[in-house]
Amino acid sequence: MGQAETFDVGELMARATRAAAIFAQLDQEQTDRIVKAVHEAGFAQRVRLARMAHEETRMGKWEDKVLKNALATQMVYEDIKDVKTVGIIHDDRERGIVEIAEPLGPIFAIVPVTNPTSTVMFKTLIALKTRNPIIIRPHRNAANCSIEAARICYEAALAEDAPEDCIQWVHDTSREETQAIMAHENLALVLATGGGGLVRAAYSSGTPALGVGAGNVPVLIEKTADPAFAVEQVLMSKTFDNGTICASEQALVVESCLAERVIAALKERHAYFLSDDETKLVEAVAFDRDKHVMTTAAMGQSAARIAEMAGFSVPADTSVLIAPLEGVGDDVPLSSEILAPILAFYVEEDFAAAVNRCLDLNYHGGIGHTASIFSNDDAAITEYALLMNAGRIVVNTPSAQGAVGGLLNTLSPSFTLGCGTGGGNITTDNITARHLLNVQRIARRRPNERFARFDKSLYLDEALDAAAIEREYNRNS
Amino acid sequence: MTDKPTLTCATTDESLVCTFSGRLDTQACAAVEADLMARVAAATGPVVFDLASVDYVASMFFRLCLQTHKQVGAERFAIAHVQPPVLRVFKIAGLDTMIR
Repeated sequence: MGQAETFDVGELMARATRAAAIFAQLDQEQTDRIVKAVHEAGFAQRVRLARMAHEETRMGKWEDKVLKNALATQMVYEDIKDVKTVGIIHDDRERGIVEIAEPLGPIFAIVPVTNPTSTVMFKTLIALKTRNPIIIRPHRNAANCSIEAARICYEAALAEDAPEDCIQWVHDTSREETQAIMAHENLALVLATGGGGLVRAAYSSGTPALGVGAGNVPVLIEKTADPAFAVEQVLMSKTFDNGTICASEQALVVESCLAERVIAALKERHAYFLSDDETKLVEAVAFDRDKHVMTTAAMGQSAARIAEMAGFSVPADTSVLIAPLEGVGDDVPLSSEILAPILAFYVEEDFAAAVNRCLDLNYHGGIGHTASIFSNDDAAITEYALLMNAGRIVVNTPSAQGAVGGLLNTLSPSFTLGCGTGGGNITTDNITARHLLNVQRIARRRPNERFARFDKSLYLDEALDAAAIEREYNRNS
Repeated sequence: MTDKPTLTCATTDESLVCTFSGRLDTQACAAVEADLMARVAAATGPVVFDLASVDYVASMFFRLCLQTHKQVGAERFAIAHVQPPVLRVFKIAGLDTMIR
């Protein structure tokens, strides 16, 4: 059970549907016991799964993947463990509204190659917390580690009497099979984290979907910022797992008055500034000009490895490759999202010019995702946030760790970051358990007294405009 | 409703009526599986599962129902007297066509 090496979509969905039915009977205590067990089992295997993921994908750093696994289990569990997700979750006697949480039904979870074990455990925890069976669809280049993570979760869940087939997984599905699952009438939701094509397919399937958009995170270092601190924080994020988190910084935009100090701080932390020729060489290995996307070859590789791939060498301890750029767009490949330790670098005359540059970057493939600012001027922070189109505007924070939440701020810990309608999504939230519920409302009779007293025949009088009706509607006598 | 699950089977007018009660979790289903399936295999007439006193079913009970359905055929198998919480479970699973 649970596993579907070769599978029939109908049988897969029948199992998931039956699991959903059994799940619907569980109370909060039974549900929470399952979630606790799964969190503990996943957390216990955080190092082994991280090593597996690194060995299988050859991306990132296994030590950082351990932290991702810890975030996906410990932090996510901390965030959701006390949340009511079964039965009556809110009772407002005064308003006469009682809210009842109901599960959605089977969820199809698409898992990316960049976070192949952490995303499995995260999605599984939030699905089980809401009594939804989950079907894991790993990336084909990370199938073994993703399936192992799912298996660990499933065994722990079964040991606490979770429904059979509450966690299933599929292996190496064809595009047609994936589409057949996504379009199946018994599927309740596609939880899509992955490449743009897959996310678009999820939204096109006819089944409700929670997807993510692409990121292209600008970082504005404003004139009141501490340059050394900003650089330290940015590099902490951009080098984390070799930049594989989609919320990691893509471009530094610095006010000119701070440029020298920022450059010095970057060099002090082993950033390597690319020459024009080296920038072109890196573009060729990191960006596919035909497809207008980053290459998988560069994804999650170290700065030194990318330089080697590009045909030149940098010191082995190089933290990031910095590409000083003038423009933004398709003809400037490194101004796009690259999930690797490569940063575009812009120096702008003043705050307005810097914000404009950030807007260019934001609207060049990163709409709705994340923006970052380092500043000690609250007005500047607010102005920046009002102008960016981003679900998360992180302040004085490494953006990867900041956007995923739970570590450096109080955003919900999540490996699925909504990007709003600009990113083709329905929400800008960090997706978590509360998004996987149908909330039913008992609405007891609580008449609107103003409406009850109001003379409804006035609506028939065409001479009365909206202001006149409003006066009558709000009349006290 | 009782928490301790029980199974009583009786044959009347060639019908095998299996009356369950209590919480039919995995362990309870496993405990009655062999006896139940032997009686189903021996039945020559209609088979009815009476769930009037059942308040919870596990995945394994679905399997027992599906096995019985397959063995005796749709026309000879029925589930009867299902209480609302359990009816809802069968409806979610899409197995409510077995309920008469």
